[in-house]
Amino acid sequence: MTTVSVDGLRVSYGKRVVFDDLDLDLGVGVHGLLGPNGAGKTTLMRVLATVLRPDRGDVRLLGHRIDDPAALRQARRQLGYLPQAFGFYPRFTVREFVEYFAWLKEMPPGQIPLAVDRAIERVGLLERADDRMKHLSGGMLRRAGIAQAIVNDPRLLLLDEPTAGLDPEQRVQFRALLRELGLDTVVLVSTHLVEDVVAACTRVNLVDGGRLVFTGLPDELIAAGGDGDSGDSPIERGYTAVLRGARTAPR
Amino acid sequence: MLGAGVWMLAVHPDDWAGRWAGLVNYLRVSLLILCALMIAAGAWQSGRERRRDIDELIASTPRPGWQPLAVSWLAVTVAGVAGLLVAFAGAAVLVARVATYAGGGWWWTLAVGVLALAAAVAVGVLVGRLVPLRVAAPIAGLATYLGLAIVTYWDGTSAAWLSPVYGGWAVYSLVPGRVTALQAAWLVALTVLLLAAAARQRRAALLAGGLAIAVTVPIITGPGTYRLPADPAAVELVCTSSGPQVCLSRINAFLIDDVIEVVQPILARLDGIPGAPRRAADQAAQPAGQPIDRDDGTVWLNLDYQSTALGGLASRKNLRADFRQVTRARCEDPSGVREIDQRVYRTDTLATDWMLDGAATPDDLPLARLRALPEAGQRSWFAAYLDAAHRCDIPALIRLGEQP
Repeated sequence: MTTVSVDGLRVSYGKRVVFDDLDLDLGVGVHGLLGPNGAGKTTLMRVLATVLRPDRGDVRLLGHRIDDPAALRQARRQLGYLPQAFGFYPRFTVREFVEYFAWLKEMPPGQIPLAVDRAIERVGLLERADDRMKHLSGGMLRRAGIAQAIVNDPRLLLLDEPTAGLDPEQRVQFRALLRELGLDTVVLVSTHLVEDVVAACTRVNLVDGGRLVFTGLPDELIAAGGDGDSGDSPIERGYTAVLRGARTAPR
Repeated sequence: MLGAGVWMLAVHPDDWAGRWAGLVNYLRVSLLILCALMIAAGAWQSGRERRRDIDELIASTPRPGWQPLAVSWLAVTVAGVAGLLVAFAGAAVLVARVATYAGGGWWWTLAVGVLALAAAVAVGVLVGRLVPLRVAAPIAGLATYLGLAIVTYWDGTSAAWLSPVYGGWAVYSLVPGRVTALQAAWLVALTVLLLAAAARQRRAALLAGGLAIAVTVPIITGPGTYRLPADPAAVELVCTSSGPQVCLSRINAFLIDDVIEVVQPILARLDGIPGAPRRAADQAAQPAGQPIDRDDGTVWLNLDYQSTALGGLASRKNLRADFRQVTRARCEDPSGVREIDQRVYRTDTLATDWMLDGAATPDDLPLARLRALPEAGQRSWFAAYLDAAHRCDIPALIRLGEQP
């Protein structure tokens, strides 16, 4: 079942074209989004998060067209988003921060307290729920950011570099959370850490130079690599092999 | 705002003590600074989302942008107003203990003051949205201070009513209800206009802008801020029933015991002397716009700034000084200029010192000589002085000063 559909997407910043005629379909499950720096991962995330308006193309989120204001609002109610660099109000407690976003996501007021506690518990911050954001470590802030993203039980969850700043134990826990969320949610995870993709993602998308150069299962990406490709792990070798192939293939 | 409010109240208790109207008028005077602070706070709060890099996250949420903006505005407004009202509530407790007049619609003055603070925050919110600089907040505050000062104090034209800041007029002055209502409507329309502009709600901004213009017209074409009428109930005289008569306006009547203590002994001393006053009355009750009759036997007391924070008389010395009008030689030319012989001033001082029964210095020989006369002689000398001063008889005044 396709719940995110991108057709003929064009995005540019001034004269620099980031995407031109990009197609992408995502269904329920955890989707890894890989690519080198500057490939357009964050731009794609921002388009899907509805904060960046594309120049052209048809984008449907959970069946809603984002160029229709009423449909856009419906889509946003079911959206969770963690940007690569997210800000926060330092004097807010973790609970206040997540509560504020639950309100912004137009959750029914009666459901907010329970949903907030549940989201904070899922990211392992319940004991720090009443601490001010300014007193949290980098990893804890990231988890608070994930908590606000999932507080509304989104049907589409967009996480841009969610594991940055997490220690190994937290990353393992986070992958488990991703797998749990992916059972009934479209989760798109942009990351540089390919081992996260192997561990948690059901499918992988690889973008480079504004193009979607690979989409498939993690095992298929692994299989694309050979012993002669650079990389310390099978998926890294698959990653570099796909990139090399895309860059040498005629456009 | 709590700190600013306490500071302002502490600086000038004589402006507000003992009078409800004085307290809210002082709040409106203080808006000159308080509005600037609220604008700075609004601008700072509004720019916070951008500074904290949280605007992108908020942009991905479904709630219409004007709602978080309105919440942000409301939070600053409520916090600021609450802080200010806490400070003024402390002063209100002191006023409530002694106040003798609760009318004059002071609560409407207060309500418009609160609306002004809300409008000030809205200005700040818009500035914070438009100007992505940290210095926007302090600069907006400073510019507001200067702008309000110009509008309020530049002159007394009706355009000054567009500023919520009061010009520091007397506590018994009555701002017409029509003006208060128009000011309230103007501030509400301005607030909605600014918030709608900040939230890019074009239709709401246009509507509010139209309303603001519609309200502005009757304000700037109406009467100005000068020569406000007195509140008749506030200046209604409350008089003593025993001893020489002392009358204070109802709004200042809480001072009457302290005033009697100072004034009645002086009136008693003057009792029966031809040309001397028989009573003292609050200057607040003087008929507005009419020349003062100096021959009606009344000493007019200025009690406008004559209260301590606890409601007592602030300065006995100043109150006694009001009696100088009794001994003042009427030697002004038609333009009001007084250029008279220094010896006349010395006689004036001698008469005043005798009247007030002040302590004489050892080298004040004329006063000592005057006091050495029999009581009847002293009173006769003072009567002669009043007569000469009334006629501006310079030779007689000089002679009286040399031969008491």
